[in-house]
Amino acid sequence: MIIPESEEPIIVQGITGRYGSLHTRLMLQYGTKIAAGVTPGKGGMNVEGVPVYNTVREAVEKSGSRSSVLFVPAPNFLSAAKEAIDSGIKLLVAITEHIPIRDTLTILDIARKKGASVIGPNTPGLIVPSRKLKLGIMPASSFSPGDIAIFSRSGTLMYEVAYQLTSSGFGQSLALGIGGDPINCTTLQECIELVRNDQTTKAVVLVGEIGGDAEERTASYISETRFEKPVVAYIAGRHAPKEKKMGHAGAIIYGSYGTAESKIKALEDAGALVAKTPSEIPSLVSRAIG
Amino acid sequence: MKLFEYQAKALMKEYGIPVPPSLFARNEREALDAASKIGYPVAVKAQVLAGGRGKAGGISIVRDEGELFRETSRILSLTISGERPTGVLVEKAVPHQKEYYISITLDRGERSFAVIASPEGGIDVESLTKKIVRNIQVEGIDRETAREVALFLSESRGEAEKIETIIMKLERMQREKECELAEINPMCMADGEFIALDAKISIDDNALFRHPEFSKLHPEDEFEGEASRQGFAFVRLEGNIAVVGNGAGLVLSTLDLVSDAGGSPACFLDLGGGAQRERVESAIMLVNRLPNAERILVNIFGGITRTTDVAEGILSVSKRVNLKPVYARISGAEEEEARKILEGTDVKLYSTATDAVRAVVSGE
Repeated sequence: MIIPESEEPIIVQGITGRYGSLHTRLMLQYGTKIAAGVTPGKGGMNVEGVPVYNTVREAVEKSGSRSSVLFVPAPNFLSAAKEAIDSGIKLLVAITEHIPIRDTLTILDIARKKGASVIGPNTPGLIVPSRKLKLGIMPASSFSPGDIAIFSRSGTLMYEVAYQLTSSGFGQSLALGIGGDPINCTTLQECIELVRNDQTTKAVVLVGEIGGDAEERTASYISETRFEKPVVAYIAGRHAPKEKKMGHAGAIIYGSYGTAESKIKALEDAGALVAKTPSEIPSLVSRAIG
Repeated sequence: MKLFEYQAKALMKEYGIPVPPSLFARNEREALDAASKIGYPVAVKAQVLAGGRGKAGGISIVRDEGELFRETSRILSLTISGERPTGVLVEKAVPHQKEYYISITLDRGERSFAVIASPEGGIDVESLTKKIVRNIQVEGIDRETAREVALFLSESRGEAEKIETIIMKLERMQREKECELAEINPMCMADGEFIALDAKISIDDNALFRHPEFSKLHPEDEFEGEASRQGFAFVRLEGNIAVVGNGAGLVLSTLDLVSDAGGSPACFLDLGGGAQRERVESAIMLVNRLPNAERILVNIFGGITRTTDVAEGILSVSKRVNLKPVYARISGAEEEEARKILEGTDVKLYSTATDAVRAVVSGE
């Protein structure tokens, strides 16, 4: 995955919708260069001064963008995402929630074949405060430039953790939400690779939750690949009931699969400091980076 | 969305997977009619979505009308994992020699669907000691994979061919109907034929818009139904503290804080991102009506959701109805304005989640 530089042009798909237009304004306010928007049938309009095109191909040709933030409704996701990748988009941030699993798997397959990266779906996106780059819906006020990377399965918990870190004097080098669905097109392991050789990042905060085994896999990955930066983690859902989807489609425990206990143990075994509450995270980060 | 066994079997039958003759019955009278059409002995099986039905006494084999009447009455009066049966399935009893396990389910780690099969049927998938797992490409399963799995279950060429056909049909159903889980457990062999004795299917909720045939298949809990119509993520729980917040992860972590402090949540309610005043009002009204909720905890981290909208929503409800005690942690952008809005009301305000949780649990 290639994270855009500051001032790099970005496309918004679904720019004329309620969320698409609101967040286009907020991303522009943050300093991100939203250069073109796409809504089929609305070409020629403009939203917040951003020109709107009928197709991604046209938007790419006119703006030179390689990255797109996608807000289209779930039933249109598959065709919009395919169109983006076919038009040369290399980084697709899929904000849309409630996407069928089959559509996510199809896009993941296409992205692999075409060498594109997809973040999400059901993600708050990513933010790089030092580049004034915000590809997503996170509230800018929680984030500040610094040297801690946050990778999270939850949006609001990512904002809350960033806010607490910022309040304690720890800014962020990068914060990225992988999404609350059962299938994440970008995995936590891939997130680890984003910062392994990054000189700025001093420590990583992983915000996990019940369901699946992404945290367990990441814990083994950290050990096996000898990731050297300190890792602080927090897992939500220690008291969640089984077989209930807790808000996120991916936050569900089946039997002993997906429990918080299993994730906490795996992360601790891999050397991570695991916080019991989000408010403990800043002090653990402080301890981890000495 | 989970299907009841009788619905799952109807779907499997539609795809050509052999199932025993059976009829759904809502009461003793319908069960007697069903059994007279099918012929004794029959199995009477509680129709519930929860697991652990067999252990809870929800399945019985009966030989005559007297037994059928008694067992149907008994089964219909059971509560299985908190759930009352919606009816019974009256099914031809199938004497058989051997049981197998076959399912197609999402493999989240490998990010694909997978077929799982075992020659040890009738037990939970987690307890299987001898099993084969093969991932399926997004276009669908290929014959070679289905054959390999079938041969793991039977070395007899004739039998393996029949199992392979069932796997192909099950996978086609899973793919076309967008099942998160399609499970036959057990599948049995009787007189050389393979039959699905029990069936579990769960449809991807997010794909339901493409499958109107599944809409309104079964009634929901009153509160869960209303929450889903209003677009809230809502889970009903058994305690006395209603937990409301913005964002699934935040609400989940608030449940942990409440439980750690010795409290017990009455529900999980996620307002969703960017909730405006009306949504906050509906959410507060909904949890205020929950009979088991005695107090309401609101945990809002403002960002895209405006803290002032939340405050105004709570204020407006408190003027209109008899509101249960509200403990609110409101922080983030514009929190000072939000606090001012709630000044002079009975709503107790806190700036950290820990403080709000401590107060709501002690009820002080």
